[in-house]
Amino acid sequence: MTLTCEKEQKQDIKKGDIMSGRVIVITSGKGGVGKTTTNANIGTALAKTGKKVVMIDTDLGLRNLDLLLGLENRIVYTIVDVVEERCKLKQALVKDKKNPNLCLLAAAQTRDKTAVTEEQLKDICEELKKDFDFILVDCPAGIEQGFQNAVAGASEAIVVTTPEMSAVRDADRIIGLLEAREEIKSYRLLLNRVRPNMIKSNDMMSVDDVVEILSAQLIGIIPEDTGIITSTNKGEPIVNDEKSLAGQAYRNVAKRIIGEDVPFLNLEEETGVVAKVKKFFAGLIGKEK
Amino acid sequence: MKDIFTDLYNKVLGFFRQSEDKQEASAKEVACNRLKFVLMQDRTNLTPELMDRMRRELIELLSRYVEMDKEALELGFEQEGNQMALMLSIPVLRARDEAEIEATLAEEDAKKVEVEDQGEEASDKSDETLSEEESTNEDSEVNDEDENLQNEQEENIEISEEEVTEEPKTSKKKKKVSN
Repeated sequence: MTLTCEKEQKQDIKKGDIMSGRVIVITSGKGGVGKTTTNANIGTALAKTGKKVVMIDTDLGLRNLDLLLGLENRIVYTIVDVVEERCKLKQALVKDKKNPNLCLLAAAQTRDKTAVTEEQLKDICEELKKDFDFILVDCPAGIEQGFQNAVAGASEAIVVTTPEMSAVRDADRIIGLLEAREEIKSYRLLLNRVRPNMIKSNDMMSVDDVVEILSAQLIGIIPEDTGIITSTNKGEPIVNDEKSLAGQAYRNVAKRIIGEDVPFLNLEEETGVVAKVKKFFAGLIGKEK
Repeated sequence: MKDIFTDLYNKVLGFFRQSEDKQEASAKEVACNRLKFVLMQDRTNLTPELMDRMRRELIELLSRYVEMDKEALELGFEQEGNQMALMLSIPVLRARDEAEIEATLAEEDAKKVEVEDQGEEASDKSDETLSEEESTNEDSEVNDEDENLQNEQEENIEISEEEVTEEPKTSKKKKKVSN
């Protein structure tokens, strides 16, 4: 009860500031669809807009978020150290190289999913809400305890999927589980690795198909981009690349999270995709400036 | 010369038309249809308990007409084109003859009359719980299935009688459940 009171008070204090202390879990069910990439990019994009962002990697034993951010050499303490009281929460937060608004709470690589409980994660999220605008929780694949833990402290979710059958099926399952959880107030769909050419030739499900099948609200469409691989290799999220289409798509997602109304990239109807999309963005960027 | 070109043109056109026909079911459409089906199955809230109950009730019903290997009876959902089908596979040990079936039916009728009040109450209750628990798709179909089953079962009996079944025989029945 006291918790809910605190929440209400906090919301009152920060009225007008829509994005205060929001805990968003990024999940997918299926592995390899781009949860961690999404997390790193949305987090970085949000931090670039001046928001204070912390990312929690809850994939204990299989941590990767540190790699995508290029922070693997800076990690001293992990979430397990916090839970087992070997350090304070603030000591375990690793600051991003470029953006001081961005922090990472890394997962332990040597432990399994039982090392942190739902309650402990909830407490950590509550604690972080006081100091950060956004807490992004990177959820492990699967629907077992790791998923339950990651979801525990969140009130919003982003379901990452790709236009492939197995990914969509798993997303449907995850949506069912999220709907059953009262603390999750809203969830939105992020469609990753979209290939406009394959959609055009009817070889791949379109964005509309996936949205219709899952009947979920869309928060972003990310085109397949080889730049993702090179950016991972360099340990630098692709949102930092102003020229990248996927980077632009992720920046748009961040804007939508903040509450801006940004139109979706209509990749499918473009003919001569590259040229038209470039034109489209040139127009967009021009407008913004 | 012209003829050759028009001929060639038609052939080329025909080739493309053919390939268009072949592409009717594109990878995307196949994916969508398969997904829709599989999600329907995933979202179906028929719990293992309810499936087991359905199985028991079907055994009870079918036992009036055939002797079967109750352990080997298989029940499950499968895809039938764009439709979901309830698949029931029953190894038949021996078909009952007409007199036998009529005797058991008469026996059951007699039982029903005896315990009319109790029986009615009990069956009402079970009907209610079934329709409450089962998803809308399935519960309306259950009755139709029973009828289908009876019909198909009767056909099967005829065959079995001719062949004098000594070894267990597997008969497969498909009942379509409309989307």
